[in-house]
Amino acid sequence: MSDLAFPLDPTPTDWNDAAMQRRIRKRYTAERRFKLLGLAAVSLSAGFLAFLLITMLAKGLGGIDIGFLTGSDATDPAQVGIWGAFKGSLLTMIVTLGIAFPVGVLSAVYLEEYAPRNRWTDIIEVSINNLAAVPSIIFGLLGLAIFLNFMHLPRSAPIVGGLTLALMTMPVIVIAGRNAIKSVPPSIRDAALGIGASRIQVVSHHVLPLALPGILTGTIIGMARALGETAPLLMIGMRAFIASPPGGFTEPATALPVQIFLWSDEVSRGFVEKTSAAIIVLLAFLLAMNGLAIYLRNRFETRW
Amino acid sequence: MDTETITNAKMSARNVSVFYGANKAIDDVSIDVSRENVTAFIGPSGCGKSTFLRTLNRMNDTIPSARVEGRIELDGEDIYGSGMDVVQLRARVGMVFQKPNPFPKSIFENVAYGPRIHGLAPNKAELETIVERSLKRAGLWDEVKDRLAESGTALSGGQQQRLCIARAIAVDPEVILMDEPCSALDPIATAKIEELIHELRGRYAIVIVTHNMQQAARVSQRTAFFHLGVLVEYGETTEIFTNPRQTRTKDYITGRYG
Repeated sequence: MSDLAFPLDPTPTDWNDAAMQRRIRKRYTAERRFKLLGLAAVSLSAGFLAFLLITMLAKGLGGIDIGFLTGSDATDPAQVGIWGAFKGSLLTMIVTLGIAFPVGVLSAVYLEEYAPRNRWTDIIEVSINNLAAVPSIIFGLLGLAIFLNFMHLPRSAPIVGGLTLALMTMPVIVIAGRNAIKSVPPSIRDAALGIGASRIQVVSHHVLPLALPGILTGTIIGMARALGETAPLLMIGMRAFIASPPGGFTEPATALPVQIFLWSDEVSRGFVEKTSAAIIVLLAFLLAMNGLAIYLRNRFETRW
Repeated sequence: MDTETITNAKMSARNVSVFYGANKAIDDVSIDVSRENVTAFIGPSGCGKSTFLRTLNRMNDTIPSARVEGRIELDGEDIYGSGMDVVQLRARVGMVFQKPNPFPKSIFENVAYGPRIHGLAPNKAELETIVERSLKRAGLWDEVKDRLAESGTALSGGQQQRLCIARAIAVDPEVILMDEPCSALDPIATAKIEELIHELRGRYAIVIVTHNMQQAARVSQRTAFFHLGVLVEYGETTEIFTNPRQTRTKDYITGRYG
């Protein structure tokens, strides 16, 4: 017996021992406690969302009719409509997407696939991450300084609002794009390089298509955030009273969140209902965008 | 060190050293790759055999810290010279990787991709011919001819690896480098790949890295033994396995270490 290198434990573990049973009970309690805490956290946020939806629907649903959906801002709450602000938001978003998406994706591709790893790219990386966290009011001031005071673009126009929001959305797209590109397995790059694909062919034929779902998700999240932004638009003058929907990118316009802000400031009682109605329209727009994101992601997702 | 040269070599390396940063992974290796035979690189893990293989079609270029010294020739042409187009080089010197890595596209598209980017097929019929021929040569045609539109990733591991070989063959390379092509496969799939290597021999110069000595003995005519970044011995496979000149080789093939 004694020449065994590891002699057998003389007393085998007693799983029915009282102390052992206590330990097991404690473990189960901890498990239950954690589950309850998690559930509480989820119900807290879901509760607030439900509260918002219910109060808004209760207050605002009555304010939604054809006149509201097709009209523009007015001084009389019974006459106001959301179409002007909706179209303003739509035009602004088109500009934002048109600028932020290509520039963001190109930056992400360059940083991931081409840029050498050195101090400069490290600095650029940190700057982009910081840029994504800069408060939106600062982007508003930047837009005011560059697009209005320096480039003399028309005040209150969707083109300026779109450009300003594009500055804000770009870093979000760059970060999401880089993560999506990083998650494409290196073996795919090797495979393409190994049969003589050039770098640009590797990127455009393999990396980008595989990264597209991730890039799109990030883009829509950035766009949804831009859609809800009010502060930068106030800075560049999209808070004017506009009584007719904008005819183009350079005409004075307002946007959905700004319209909500303006109406919520009105003293007249009739605007309370209209504010809620406008919030419903904004939320519907947001939901539609997120739905599109999910659809696109499922559509382009590659199954391995 | 062994510097046996062979006449009419397809590729030849002279005094090649590879560095990863300050770390020397390959030390002064000179070797000739035969035109009509299968050459096996054997050696324990981390001996540099895969690193050396990847210098033969400049796949190491993708690693920023990697640096290659010395001279490697393909038919007498310096592949690290300024006149060498690396994209063209990789079409001439194809590669099959350790883990099967088909594109997440259809079987047809996997094979057609190479000919397409190199403009080898002027029309669709021609492309289909190339795809069929490549799949036949890779011994996969009968298994997939009715489902060419299915995803390449839906195949079994062994089929995927043969698809990767078909993909490499489709651009009509002169040399095929195989980096432990069977290490992720079961014995039956491995046997199929080995059989395939026998059939491809002569048409392509083949270099195979393997840590399986029986495999090297089965598929190759020439074997190079690497250890700690150095080429210890290189010669006829039968010689290496029955009558090694170096004690280190002998110790390795008899299982003393590795």
